[in-house]
Amino acid sequence: MGLKGGGFERKSKASGEIPSSSMADIAFLLLIFFMVTTVFRAEAARPIEWPSAGATEQIDEKRDNILYLWLERNGDIWINDRLVPMADVATVIGPRWLESGQRLIISLRADASVPYRFVDLVQEQLKRSGAVYVVFATELERRMTGARR
Amino acid sequence: MAICKMKSKVSDEIPSSSMADIAFLLLIFFLVTTVFPRDTGLRVVLPEEAEEVQVSQRNVLHLQVQPNGVVEVRYGESEDLQQVPASQVQSIWRTNVAENPNLIAAVKTHPDAPHSAMIAVLDALQLAGAERISLQLLEET
Repeated sequence: MGLKGGGFERKSKASGEIPSSSMADIAFLLLIFFMVTTVFRAEAARPIEWPSAGATEQIDEKRDNILYLWLERNGDIWINDRLVPMADVATVIGPRWLESGQRLIISLRADASVPYRFVDLVQEQLKRSGAVYVVFATELERRMTGARR
Repeated sequence: MAICKMKSKVSDEIPSSSMADIAFLLLIFFLVTTVFPRDTGLRVVLPEEAEEVQVSQRNVLHLQVQPNGVVEVRYGESEDLQQVPASQVQSIWRTNVAENPNLIAAVKTHPDAPHSAMIAVLDALQLAGAERISLQLLEET
C-alpha cells in the first residue's frame, strides 16, 4: 500500500533457474532404489513341458499368495526348490494355507505328459491340507486366440 | 622438452552435465525391459475333504479320458459309450447343457493318461462355459 507498485519491482537475487547439477544424483538414486527393491523370485524353474489350453486366464493374486507346486514327468514333486515326497505334500502346504488367511492359490505346474495318477494323488493331498484353490498352470494356446480373446 | 610444457586448452575434467541424461537413460531402459512373469492357468476349486454331494445320475455327463487321449462320453445312466476326440467335447457340452441346465461334467481320467489329455478336456469345458466340473480318477475295471 505504502510501497510503489506493491513492492513487486524489486529484483530477486535468487536465480530463476532450477539447479540441474544434482539431477544426476537424483537419477542414480532412483536407479539404485529400483534395483535394490526389485525382488525376483529365487525359486529355480523345473524343466517341464507346459500343457497348453485356450481357456488360460491370468491369475490376479499377490505373488505371496501363490505357491508353485512342480510335478515332473516321473512324479517328483518340488515345492520351493525342495523335493517333497507325495505323502508329505499336505503337511507342507497346510501351514501355508492357514498363514495366507485361506487365500492361498496352488499353481500346479505339472508336466504335460505326467500320468494322471500323480495329478490325482496331488489333488487328494491338497484336499487334505485344505487348499482348495488350484490353478492348473498352462500356456495360452496360440491357435485358439480367435476363439476367446 | 618444449612440447611437454605446453598447456593444453582442453579441459581435463569429465563433463558432468550429461550425467543426468545417462542415468535417466539407464533408469528408463531397466524400467522398460523388466518383465515380470505372469501366472496363467486353468482355475479349479477342489471340493473340501469329506464333502460328498449326491447328484442324480440324470444330471451327470461322464467324460472318460483314456490314455490315448480319446474321450468316452456317457450320458447319465445309459451304458453306451461314444468315443470322441477332446476337440468335440466343447460342442457336446453346449448341446447337452442347453437341454439340462443342471448338468455336471464328471471328468474321469485313466491313471495312465497324460496330464495334457485331462487339460484338453477341462479346457474344452471351460471354453464352453461349464462351471460344475468334477475331476476324478477312472477306476480300472
